[in-house]
Amino acid sequence: MTTVATTKPGFFERFFARHRGPLLVSPAILVLVAMNIFPLFWSFGLSFYKYRANRQAEPVFVWFDNYIKILSDPVVWSRFQTTAIFVAISVLFQLIVGFLLAVLFEKQFPGRRVLLMLVLTPMMLSFVAVGAFFRYYYEPTFGLLSQAIKAITGEPFIILQSPAGAIGAIIFADVWMWSPFVMLLVLAGLVSVPKHLYEAAEIDRVSWWRRFRTITFPYIRGLLLLAVLFRTIETFKLFDAVFLITEGGPGTSTETIAVYVYRVAFQYFRTSESAALGYILLFVVVVLTNLYLFFVQRRARET
Amino acid sequence: MSYLKKLRASVLGGALAAALGSAFGGMAAAEDITINMAAPDWPPTRIMQDLANKEYKAKSGNSVKVVLDFIPWPDYYTRLAASLTSGEKKYNMAVSDSQWLGAFVEGGYYLKINDIIDKDPELQAIFKDLHPNLVAAYSTYPHKSANYYGFPQMPDVLVNYYRKDLFCNEDEQKAFQDKMGYKLPCTPEEMNEVDWKMWEDFGKFFRRAKGDKLAGQTLDDDFYGIAYQAGKGYDFNSMQINGFIWQYGADIWDETKAPNGQALGVVNSDTAVKALEHYLSLLQYAPPVAKTGTMDIFKTDELFREGKLAAHIEWIGFAETTINKEMSKVADKTGFAKMPATKGADGKMIRWSNIGGQPFVLTTWTEGATQSEAIEFVKWWLSTPVQTKFAQAGGQSGLKSVFASADYNSYRPWNHAFGPSLDWQKDVWHIPEFFELLVQQQEEFDKAITGQQGAKQALDNIAAFQDKTLREAGHIE
Repeated sequence: MTTVATTKPGFFERFFARHRGPLLVSPAILVLVAMNIFPLFWSFGLSFYKYRANRQAEPVFVWFDNYIKILSDPVVWSRFQTTAIFVAISVLFQLIVGFLLAVLFEKQFPGRRVLLMLVLTPMMLSFVAVGAFFRYYYEPTFGLLSQAIKAITGEPFIILQSPAGAIGAIIFADVWMWSPFVMLLVLAGLVSVPKHLYEAAEIDRVSWWRRFRTITFPYIRGLLLLAVLFRTIETFKLFDAVFLITEGGPGTSTETIAVYVYRVAFQYFRTSESAALGYILLFVVVVLTNLYLFFVQRRARET
Repeated sequence: MSYLKKLRASVLGGALAAALGSAFGGMAAAEDITINMAAPDWPPTRIMQDLANKEYKAKSGNSVKVVLDFIPWPDYYTRLAASLTSGEKKYNMAVSDSQWLGAFVEGGYYLKINDIIDKDPELQAIFKDLHPNLVAAYSTYPHKSANYYGFPQMPDVLVNYYRKDLFCNEDEQKAFQDKMGYKLPCTPEEMNEVDWKMWEDFGKFFRRAKGDKLAGQTLDDDFYGIAYQAGKGYDFNSMQINGFIWQYGADIWDETKAPNGQALGVVNSDTAVKALEHYLSLLQYAPPVAKTGTMDIFKTDELFREGKLAAHIEWIGFAETTINKEMSKVADKTGFAKMPATKGADGKMIRWSNIGGQPFVLTTWTEGATQSEAIEFVKWWLSTPVQTKFAQAGGQSGLKSVFASADYNSYRPWNHAFGPSLDWQKDVWHIPEFFELLVQQQEEFDKAITGQQGAKQALDNIAAFQDKTLREAGHIE
């Protein structure tokens, strides 16, 4: 007769076996708390104080003074208006261009893979590279755009001279960079449509518009809304392209709210005011997200 | 052993022990010290690092390394400010624009150096040797007070960069004489006497279209006469506009007159409006980028080095790259002269300009041996032999013993314009609110540059904003 020696698991082995899941995620949670949650609460607390990081004076609790000051500041509302213009026009064009590109790439054609890779390149570039590229692209003395137009008209093209031109130039850069992102989402929806539905529609001689409305659109609707949400939030925070191409000019005509937050925080050093402004932006983004969720849920209920 | 032999042996033994003790004691006391300095990335700081690496040996016997953290100019303020205010205490020293003194002194980051100077005759001698305008601009907060914070790292002034090959070309000389009725300046001496009217004539005369002739060559692209900074970013229009304002006899808000000095009526005086109108009027002769509000100091430098301009006004700090054949198409064609002046009613030249360049400062957490070594490094840097080497390598020195020496003008072609220019340099505000004033002023000037408003409207808006901001901060009563 043989006996098998069994050893009782130690305390740590038992503890690890019992709490394996929480223990595995705890490092990530610790990092999240240290790097995100704690600064978030800290800056939220700071937004109720009067404090400047470049002064030695102790922070003074001022209740909602910073929020009142910001919301009654016409400059802030002017920057919100500029941002709204960017969001409305840029996201609309990103959706249109992204959708058209997705329709194009849904079909198989020679060179599709190479072309798709090229079209996706802009969204993989760094913001700084794109900003620097477009600054030179629009530059009226050497720039490609100006040189091309000058070859026809004989005069340099100075797109950044007027507020409207500068806004258009930044929107073009943003659309160029982010339409491929919308395209990817829409393309995912397009390729998921069962082919037999199109075949059935073909047999029934359904018009192009009806086929799109009743077959294609329901499959891409959710993804389009997701694209609208992502791009609205990102465009709302538009900073890099503006700062690198126009620095907010001419005058302040292209200065978005994100650029203004940067100025308040790191140039004026009105630290607690910038924290309050940051939370107002966060509130706007949360409202936009909830609006999106509301529409998605309503659609889900309808279907 | 006799008594004398015993005595001799003990004395020798004692001396040997003392010598060994001091030798080994000295070795044990030697420390490795690293002085970390934040610095903008451009030739004057690169030369400083190079000289320090090659030549700096601490007198104390400590092993001292001076490590410059080179940060690109456009990000420099943000990166330095983030480092200082975050509390990371990364830098023992920092190259700082003079305007930042107030903000970072009030924050408790820049070390007051009065006590250090008072205890050190060598530093006192250095300060006596420095040009007083540099001391006022680079060292004092409040501006022009007796509170000292900085030492000059690289003094800088705006000068006229011009194409010698064009201005001295015989055909161009003749054509200019025929058109303008006077001789086109060619030598640095002639160019030093240029006023803004002549500068405008250069703008008109050298504007050529693609296919036109320029100095006997057919142009393959448009060519422009003149340019100066007109950019919205940082201080890239104020630095030039201030020169016009002072030359006209107007003024910016003067912090040395606080709390009685006013912004309203001073900043937007009729004379200041005329000065700004004059500045704006000359932009029509600049390349089209001037109309976008992005023609900053980097852009005019680029345009000039690409051979698109006959002349431009730029900081001396850019000159080294302009004469570098690897980086400039006009390396061997560029001459340098003083910035143009305004000719007064009596025919005399009225010269004022906004000072450039930077001091370097010590941070308040740099203490003990590191502080002592940092001060020793400053003394080494501001010693006449090292400043001479700095000037020979392309830098500028604020020491009278260097810039007024007989050989100074032979080091670089722009040096002849540097020393005399120091006499008519003024600085902008040193107060902590400078960036708020600067950003708003840049925006208003930019609107005028891009044609969205006139000079009067711009200055009225600036004066109103400054009055409000400075009253809130207690600088105007």
